[in-house]
Amino acid sequence: MDEIRKEIKKIEKSAERIKALADGNNALLKNASIILTFVYLLKFCTPDE
Amino acid sequence: MEYWNKYTETLPREKLNKVEFGHFKNLFAFAKANSKLYQEKLKGIEPGDIKTYDDIKKVPFTYKEELRRWQENVDPFPYGGLLGIPIEQVSSFRQTSGTTGRPVYVPESYESWQWRIESWCHILWMAGFRPWHRLFLPFGYNVYVAFWEAHYAAEKLGCEVVPGGALDTKGRVNKIIELKANAMAGTPTYMLNIAQEAMAMGIDPKSFGMDRMIGAGEPLPEATRKRIEATYGCKMFDHIGSTETCGFAGMCEAQKGLHVVEPFFLVELLDRETLSKEVAVGEQGVIVITPLGRRSFPVLRFNTNDVAIKGPSECECGRTSLKLMEIVGRVDDIRKIRGVLFSPKTVEQLIRSEFPEIVEYEIVVTREDIMDNILLRIECDPKVAAAEAQEAGKRLAERHKIKTNLSCKVQVEPEGSLPRYDLKAKRFKDMRGDH
Repeated sequence: MDEIRKEIKKIEKSAERIKALADGNNALLKNASIILTFVYLLKFCTPDE
Repeated sequence: MEYWNKYTETLPREKLNKVEFGHFKNLFAFAKANSKLYQEKLKGIEPGDIKTYDDIKKVPFTYKEELRRWQENVDPFPYGGLLGIPIEQVSSFRQTSGTTGRPVYVPESYESWQWRIESWCHILWMAGFRPWHRLFLPFGYNVYVAFWEAHYAAEKLGCEVVPGGALDTKGRVNKIIELKANAMAGTPTYMLNIAQEAMAMGIDPKSFGMDRMIGAGEPLPEATRKRIEATYGCKMFDHIGSTETCGFAGMCEAQKGLHVVEPFFLVELLDRETLSKEVAVGEQGVIVITPLGRRSFPVLRFNTNDVAIKGPSECECGRTSLKLMEIVGRVDDIRKIRGVLFSPKTVEQLIRSEFPEIVEYEIVVTREDIMDNILLRIECDPKVAAAEAQEAGKRLAERHKIKTNLSCKVQVEPEGSLPRYDLKAKRFKDMRGDH
């Protein structure tokens, strides 16, 4: 599960980076936000016990 | 055995507790920072005060009445002090049915809705719903949440979803047949109504070829579940949830109780007298729920007033989550009639298990002078002769007396005279005013 958690963190960082680079582009901002929603769910699905 | 999420669904109890404690602390801090209700309610308790799992009990219960109060004349409209996020992040509106008072308006953000859906995916998957199912939803799509969750979760896990809104019952029967739908989600009452309509059209509901169905929106007593299974010739599953709490527990293929979707929810089953101690296996407890990941509408320790029997920690399916063996009823629904505690669920159990000829019923409680009276209005299958219907009524009155220790009057009503429901049924009418 640790490997999976690392991958989830990578996705989170990438999505945050896209938002930072989006320069107000609504499509990029919204879709990156949606990725972050699923990052939140992935974290719920892989809790660190 | 297949799981939706094998990792979380088979975590040992101590690990589940640890994970849920972590989620609870996060939600506590979030609610205190973002919800007007909890800023007020949690004055004097800081996130740092929640140091151990047992400290969760320091957090006061949340009651439905509070949710109502915090929406009246509190900004922002219409969610008031319950909102946990900026209002521009709210992506959908839902509301409670308002059965017990003013409805509660529930804001969902994209994130919270997806969180709800993920929880429902667990419920559908454990009930055996799979991508090869064509799921029919006989539901008037509106402000109530029940089947929206089922709809989106079924889509997510890969089912083909057929929205059956804006059709009358006959139209829905025809659509099920036309599309060869092999699964259905609906209120148990309405599933029986669909079957009755099909039979009136000369169609045996077994010929639909349903593989499985799941109930939502109202309680599903075991006798009703079995009657639906016998009527359609397929498996019928139950789940439990509410607009305020989300769907939080479901039935696995073993069909012995409901598994709480942990660690999405922290569910406490507390003794009815003091509401302070977890009950033991086999005992009745009041269900207190915290949806651990919903931030648009954070709710901590919501006292549902529902009573359930705690089940064993082992299940043949291998899931390790808390199990609710039977939902005994809602504390609010249990009434005193002539000094005797009466639960409408007993009547439903009795009718569904022993009187297949009765297709619809209603319980009316009135008071004359100081005497409480129970009237059971029943409607029989149209194929049943009038004399047989009267005989069924007589037997029902006798069985009711034995089961509840209360005598009642039974009135046989003409076909189609009692109301039919496709959402939460309202078959219990207490007209006494001061109950």
